Amino acid sequence: MGAVKKRYLIGGIILVAIVGYLLYLSLGSSVMYYVTVGELLDGGYGKYDTDIRVTGKVANGSIEWDAAQLQLEFDVIEGNASLPVIYNGAMPDGFSSGADVLVEGRYHPDQVFRASTILMKCPSKYEPEE
Amino acid sequence: MIDLGHIALILAFVAAICCAIASVVSTRKGSGRFAAVARIGVLAVAVLYTVAVAAMVYAFVTKDFSLKIVSENTSTDLSAAYSFTAMYADKSGSMFFWGWLVSLLAAVLVLQRRNSDRPVMPYAIVILAVVEAFFLSLVTLVANVFQRNPVPPSEGFGLNPLLQNFGMLLHPPLLYIGFAAFAVVFAYAMASLIARRPAKEWIGGIRRWTLFAWCTLGLGNLLGMWWSYNELGWGGIWAWDPVENAGLMPWLLGTAFVHSIAIGRKRNYLYTWSFALIVFTFVFTLLSPFITHGGIESPLHGFLSSSYPPYILTAMIITLAGSLCLLYFRRRGFERGEKPSSLISTEGAFLVTNIIFVALVLVIIIGVVFPQIREGLGGGKVALNRSFFDWACGPVMLVLVLFIGVCSVLGWRKTSWGPLKRNLLFTLVPAAIAAIAVLISGIGNWYAVAALVCGFPFLTIMLEWFRGTRARHNTSKKNHLMSFLSLIWSSKPRYGGFIVHIGIILITLGVIGSTLYDVEQTATLDIGDSMAIRGYELTYDDLTTEQDSMKLSSTAALSVTRGDRLVAVIRPQLNYWFYRMETFAEVAVRSTASEDLFVSMVWTSFDSSDKSATFRVKVNPLVIWMWVGGGFILLGGALAFWPERRRQPADEAKGDE
Repeated sequence: MGAVKKRYLIGGIILVAIVGYLLYLSLGSSVMYYVTVGELLDGGYGKYDTDIRVTGKVANGSIEWDAAQLQLEFDVIEGNASLPVIYNGAMPDGFSSGADVLVEGRYHPDQVFRASTILMKCPSKYEPEE
Repeated sequence: MIDLGHIALILAFVAAICCAIASVVSTRKGSGRFAAVARIGVLAVAVLYTVAVAAMVYAFVTKDFSLKIVSENTSTDLSAAYSFTAMYADKSGSMFFWGWLVSLLAAVLVLQRRNSDRPVMPYAIVILAVVEAFFLSLVTLVANVFQRNPVPPSEGFGLNPLLQNFGMLLHPPLLYIGFAAFAVVFAYAMASLIARRPAKEWIGGIRRWTLFAWCTLGLGNLLGMWWSYNELGWGGIWAWDPVENAGLMPWLLGTAFVHSIAIGRKRNYLYTWSFALIVFTFVFTLLSPFITHGGIESPLHGFLSSSYPPYILTAMIITLAGSLCLLYFRRRGFERGEKPSSLISTEGAFLVTNIIFVALVLVIIIGVVFPQIREGLGGGKVALNRSFFDWACGPVMLVLVLFIGVCSVLGWRKTSWGPLKRNLLFTLVPAAIAAIAVLISGIGNWYAVAALVCGFPFLTIMLEWFRGTRARHNTSKKNHLMSFLSLIWSSKPRYGGFIVHIGIILITLGVIGSTLYDVEQTATLDIGDSMAIRGYELTYDDLTTEQDSMKLSSTAALSVTRGDRLVAVIRPQLNYWFYRMETFAEVAVRSTASEDLFVSMVWTSFDSSDKSATFRVKVNPLVIWMWVGGGFILLGGALAFWPERRRQPADEAKGDE
């Protein structure tokens, strides 16, 4: 019995050590604030030097695509709050006015959000608004 | 037709409940009559459920918009094949489809074991019937799949263009088959525990089901990567999204389970551990719908607002608590088999591998729920970016691949230095030399890692095959090829396993190349312009635009030259879908053994006067080896699955089949 217990103990310690080490290694640097447009503009998250993920909708008629410079500008809205976003790169599939979008990047003191990544929220199908 | 399906589905639900009750009764009295009723019950559920699915498929293919599920997921001009796939693109439809697969596999199990496994089968039937009843209650009571539209619309909402891809025909069904098969494995294992059967017996009895579940789930995940790569336009294979992780975690646990029963069968131990693994594997298959139906926020995939998550979570908790309690109370029933005499042995390495698998799953699940926990503790809403998973999981996965080699160079029970030295000389030494050579040549440090991590286990397999073939050649005097084939045929599970390992090694190679050494460039070109990327020159030749009732399609033609030689003309496409008012790209990929050239047209004006277009071009090294590796897994899995000749009837007849 003692030997069995010892084996479980050793296994457990190895397990905890691996998991703990991996979490320690990677958790700190990978955390981003995850906010809506309103929350970002209300401050509280008004830190200019951290990575932030913002969710909202692409505002109607706000999309400006400069094909020569490969620069995409649009507003992300949530209710009345609106956040101007600049992204250097091509638009992802399904990017259009009214689409649900996630932008990752940094909020700059000039009140513009510079996105490093745009992700489309992609529901598997059309869902009627309730 | 629809009413018939709806009635059949409700009857299936009733039949599943009756079947569970009959089976419980049959265990009490030990009477054959109730056992027979329960067996027929399982078949009845399968037949009735199949009728319901047939009616549903008919409604989808004929586009019967009086059904809500059909009008929400199809449109009149959707092809028949994608109309079928649209069934499981729906949130209720996916559970409906999955439950159907459970009912079919349960019927297969019952037919296969109608004359055997007397003490175990009644309990297995109870558990499977309860699982079926759970799925049926979700699709009848919680959210009725046969819900009608008050007024049938004249046109449906259509299927998301991203889901109109060949991958859709295979990826979800394979995942669901794998999940459903793991439900069968779980039910059988639990039943054996309740019936107090010797662990060795149930492991033998469920070995092939486990292989089947593991292979389908693995290939399902791989096809998900293929789909992501070829359809989603970002040119990557894995985003560590919660939904993807939900498919990966049960597979990782299942992998640990496959290995722990392989060694358990051989050495008669690790039973408690194996049992706990199958419990967690099954519970984690339920995590997948919990996440896709919105139980945990998935940024990228998934169905919006579903009423299922509370029910699924309840089922997970009950299953977990019930199974672990049972395991605790039956813990004395496990025979004490041999123990590994030393950690430096194949058994020891197996144990360590198992622990690493579990650690990996723990890390992933922590990554998935971390944002939720932090929010729950009032820490504000956060997200983890993919670097967390890349750095927490990537290296561990490499170590796991390395362990394929470690396990096979060590000896069973106890390793003696002499053979180990010889083994290492032929395997680790050449792999290390190759790694150093790669390092010096400056191709890339990760390629050096790949040479070691993939080369070492690959060489151990080759060494094993070489020795086996030589021994057979010497004794049987057959030529080498025949000796090799007869060697493989003589021990199919063992050599099937080796072939699967080669598949895993190839996939690892593909993942390293494509995620660490991909290059990307985006440019807007006019007709006649060129762009260059890693030795390729792409010249934009032409753009043609066609229109059909659903979309406007622009197809570009780019000639690809290397040096001065024209190697290909590739044709990426961009579609503007009218009803969604959105554009989706169809990427063009040119694959070679060393790298893929991946071209996606991300923007064009769709105006005949302006043919300029923006292209995103990637070079992804070694991607093709991932798909080749998938082929090896299929081949090796099929070989291991092949029925063994029953040499020891006492041992095997009770078990396999």
